[in-house]
Amino acid sequence: MSRRTEEIINSLPPLRRRQVLAGMAGVAAAGLLPKAALAQAGDTLKIRGNANPSSLDPATGGAGSDHVYLYNFFDTLVDWEPETLAPRPGLAASWEFTDPKTLVFKLQDGVTFQDGTPFNAEAVKFNLDRNRTAALSNIKRDVANIANVEATDDLTVTLTLSAPDTALPLILSDRAGMMVSPAALGNDPEANMERNPVGTGPWAFESWTDGEKVSGTRFADHWRKGVPGVDNIEILVIPEAATGLRSVQSGQVNIAYQLDERQQQLVDKMPNLTLVAGPTLYIYQLYVNSARGALKDARVRRALSMAIDREAFVKVTQAGVGEPAYMNLPKAHWAWSEDAAKLTTFDPDGARALMEEAGYGDGLELDLRGYPDQGSVQRQEFLLAQWKKIGVTGRFQNAPVAEASGRFFGEEKVGDLLLSAWTGRPDPSLTYALLYSESSYYNPGRVAPPEGYDAAVQKSRESDNQSERAAALATAQELAMGAQLSIPLSVRYEVDAATANVRDYQANLLGKPKFRDVKLG
Amino acid sequence: MLNPLQRRMLRRRIVQAVPVIIMATFSVFMLLKLLPGDVAITLAGENATSERIEEIRQIHGLDRPLLVQYGQWAWNAVQGDLSNSLLSGEAVTTTLARVFPNTMFIVCYAIVLSIVIGVPLGLLAASQAGGLADRLVMLGSSVGVALPNFWIAMILVVVLALNRQLFPATGFVSPWEDPLGAVWYATLPAVALAASGVAEVARQLRSSLVEVLNSQHFRTLHAKGLPFRTVLWKHGLRNVSVNLLTVISLLVNRTLAATVVVEVVFAIPGMGNTIVNATLQRDFPVVQGAVLAMVLTVITVNLIADMLYSVLDPRISQR
Amino acid sequence: MTDATVQAPHQAQIDRDGFVTRFRHWLTDDPVAAIALAVLCMIVGCAIFAPWISPYDPTLQNYDAMLEGPSAAHLLGTDDLGRDVFSRLIHGASASVYASCLAVGVASLLGIPVGLIAGYAGGWVDEAISRVIDTFLSFPAIVLAIAVTGVLGIGLTNAMISVGIVFAPQLARLARARTLVLKQELYVDAAHCFGASPAWILARHILPNAIQPVLVQMTLLMAVALLAEASLSFLGLGMQPPDPSWGSMIARAYLYAQIAPAQMYAPGIAILVTALAFNTVGESLREALDPTSAKP
Repeated sequence: MSRRTEEIINSLPPLRRRQVLAGMAGVAAAGLLPKAALAQAGDTLKIRGNANPSSLDPATGGAGSDHVYLYNFFDTLVDWEPETLAPRPGLAASWEFTDPKTLVFKLQDGVTFQDGTPFNAEAVKFNLDRNRTAALSNIKRDVANIANVEATDDLTVTLTLSAPDTALPLILSDRAGMMVSPAALGNDPEANMERNPVGTGPWAFESWTDGEKVSGTRFADHWRKGVPGVDNIEILVIPEAATGLRSVQSGQVNIAYQLDERQQQLVDKMPNLTLVAGPTLYIYQLYVNSARGALKDARVRRALSMAIDREAFVKVTQAGVGEPAYMNLPKAHWAWSEDAAKLTTFDPDGARALMEEAGYGDGLELDLRGYPDQGSVQRQEFLLAQWKKIGVTGRFQNAPVAEASGRFFGEEKVGDLLLSAWTGRPDPSLTYALLYSESSYYNPGRVAPPEGYDAAVQKSRESDNQSERAAALATAQELAMGAQLSIPLSVRYEVDAATANVRDYQANLLGKPKFRDVKLG
Repeated sequence: MLNPLQRRMLRRRIVQAVPVIIMATFSVFMLLKLLPGDVAITLAGENATSERIEEIRQIHGLDRPLLVQYGQWAWNAVQGDLSNSLLSGEAVTTTLARVFPNTMFIVCYAIVLSIVIGVPLGLLAASQAGGLADRLVMLGSSVGVALPNFWIAMILVVVLALNRQLFPATGFVSPWEDPLGAVWYATLPAVALAASGVAEVARQLRSSLVEVLNSQHFRTLHAKGLPFRTVLWKHGLRNVSVNLLTVISLLVNRTLAATVVVEVVFAIPGMGNTIVNATLQRDFPVVQGAVLAMVLTVITVNLIADMLYSVLDPRISQR
Repeated sequence: MTDATVQAPHQAQIDRDGFVTRFRHWLTDDPVAAIALAVLCMIVGCAIFAPWISPYDPTLQNYDAMLEGPSAAHLLGTDDLGRDVFSRLIHGASASVYASCLAVGVASLLGIPVGLIAGYAGGWVDEAISRVIDTFLSFPAIVLAIAVTGVLGIGLTNAMISVGIVFAPQLARLARARTLVLKQELYVDAAHCFGASPAWILARHILPNAIQPVLVQMTLLMAVALLAEASLSFLGLGMQPPDPSWGSMIARAYLYAQIAPAQMYAPGIAILVTALAFNTVGESLREALDPTSAKP
């Protein structure tokens, strides 16, 4: 566990501490038992899934909720440390930047796809080329910096980059690094495996009933020893959180992940359940259109942020399970920066003064946008009450997610602020490039970030030394928060409930659990 | 069983249903197109560029003229192909085959409850109009109609499923796989749905019976010395059955609609959940297919009701 | 049946004479209706005078007193943002009264004339109108409401206009069915023979006699409209924050159904009582105003 994680845990109240420890370290006691004692042939690990997958082909899906399904059938080239998301070997045993524009991967030996074909450098080349050039690929942008992929030998892949990009290893821990079987696609990069995925993952795909269930059976030739810990896996699609908790309470499933924060106190009361909680990259935030009216003035944007009591926000809207967000990353992340976080404070008097200075001492009415679910509405009501104190008024116009975000970020650009969330990206440089670059979709005003911002993000992509990267990203984050280009509110915490017989289940910072090590005792 | 007149009417009704189906699917199609928001944005994923979104539109034919899109859909639908979900890629017919029986099971369960409980209550009330039983039934039915059925659903969940654990709080099992389990799971949703159904059947039955019983014709029959019960059964029911049929056929539609929210409360994989999610996400093929299924169901029910009207009151089919 | 023919032309006259007297006697004759009317007046009073009679500002938040039970300070406790539930209930009355009146108003203005015309005119007019009615009736109401709300934009007024549009065919169909039966009646034929215009016949003979089931249905629809408001709010398409409505209060309470189940009782009971009062008054009025429905 990193020092930073320890600091956070020590700063938490005692009750929460137990839970976070459990979450970060997994249910560790089971590690002492001999593995054979736990493995029971024919066991099924049942998971409550919170959304029907958009696709089971890593290249064509679009939803962040898909990963929990995809990880079971696919391995990624690069893996990460669950606590900090620092990269570690996956299907690639090692990697090295031989120069800033050349990245060489050495692959694990003896890996096969679930259809029996070998996993080798040619397969990696097929996948990466498909991801960056196929018409059906939704992830072209992720791997846009790869100019050429070459299979140097059977287990060596050489990537030639169009620009230095040290974010690539972590990008290849996500969709872009999930290796699909070329043979299963008939070696046609335009074919898809949306409904019949074949990878190298711990389970082989069995069935997908829309809105109900995705299931898999043990892939006997999986390359990791002792993986998967359970023979079969079933993910039952139960979108509603209260229903999800009931399903694990009644033993219908073994694990329910991403429960509502409010349910944490319920889980505590249920003796047969283990709570697994921890921070995630998911950050509730207000997107700001800095090209509109009063919001062109950075002082107004800062005042809006300073008026919000984030401690109370967490207490009210997340039942206290979470942490205030003063930047676009959670505290536990390797690139979190104390200097950047310090820039945002709760100071209603200062906010009022700023508003007066900007010429809005008599009040300001804003065009606010959001989503209509009750959780969102609760957050909206909280914010309205806070802003009322500095004379900012307005009403939230709500619409379904696709409509509200489409109109706010897309061509129409309606609304001053959108209350939504940032779901996080495996590499923080992606987060910063996507949130604040002048041409980025998530920058609704398409305003240029402050001087030096782009250079700092670029610098973070040129070094493969983690502390140098963290320093460059801190500079970018300080610039963005100084200009208040968005208003982060709070970090969403993973709240998972597991039945008492679940062993070795671990939450991760990405907030998208992997089940390959889980055992049923 | 049907006389030639009725057979001709049946044929006419079926022919009439065609424009209804076309009008219904076409207006839903246009309505969906009027909705702001774009499924292509969802499909393009989290890191989408505007070029990618445009590309997706082309791949799914979302950039073609509306009439062409509708025509294509209708032509395929006639051939039994309702196309695939834009979001999950599953064939819409497969989705419907899975969720439709669940919803119909609950709806039928609720309608049966409504009739089995509502009709005797209505009869009881009408036969003692003004009496204590009448007042109680009318009060009960007023309360039943006034109850928000998803509120009832929530209370049933809290009281019977969470506190007592007598019934499953949520979820559903397919009536094909486990009929008894399906009844078990469908009971709370059906009761929640039937609360207003019972009330409505009882109320309408009582209201039209009282009207008929007060008419000159029946006063005369009663005055002739026929026992009240005989008058009620032989003449009253036959005369109010047209009204009752109207109520029941409206009830099928109402209950189908009410399942939308009740299915959300109980997390039942049915038409309601499917249609709400698809509408919110602009998954046109799924909405279209689901609406087609609903429209066909309601039309069939109306057809049956119409045939029964003509059997019960021959004057109607002769107009 | 002969006396019906004679009676019909005079019926309107009798009605007009009897109206005031009947209304005067109505409350003393039917104490239940009097109570219901009092309840309705109280709710309308709450709706109008909410700012003066509610003990707290309904949007005032207190994060140190969230989800509290009833107490002297907060008669019905506090909600998830520490707001006074009793005050929100009082303020919610206006939204609910407005919502149901708007929806049923839209529905009857659209539905009743259309139904009468279809039933009376017959032929291709009936055919065309019936197909449109069938089309609308074939939709699950709430789905149509969701789609219409989507086009009009989310909000209480738009939501209730959608609901009104969705309800209209139900009234039209019922009015048409009644008209179909009534126009076979001898007194309608008689009026026709006397040379009365179709509009006159519809207004003086068919409408008063067809209105009963329609009126019953309308009173039921008041309750259904309240329910529809709650349903749409449950899906987040109704009243928008931070103004309270009973429907959105239930919807919010659902978030806390397992932690604080009591939160969902008060607004639900408010809806129940209001709808019950609407129904009772409507039923009672119908009997009072209709000379043919005397008790046996």
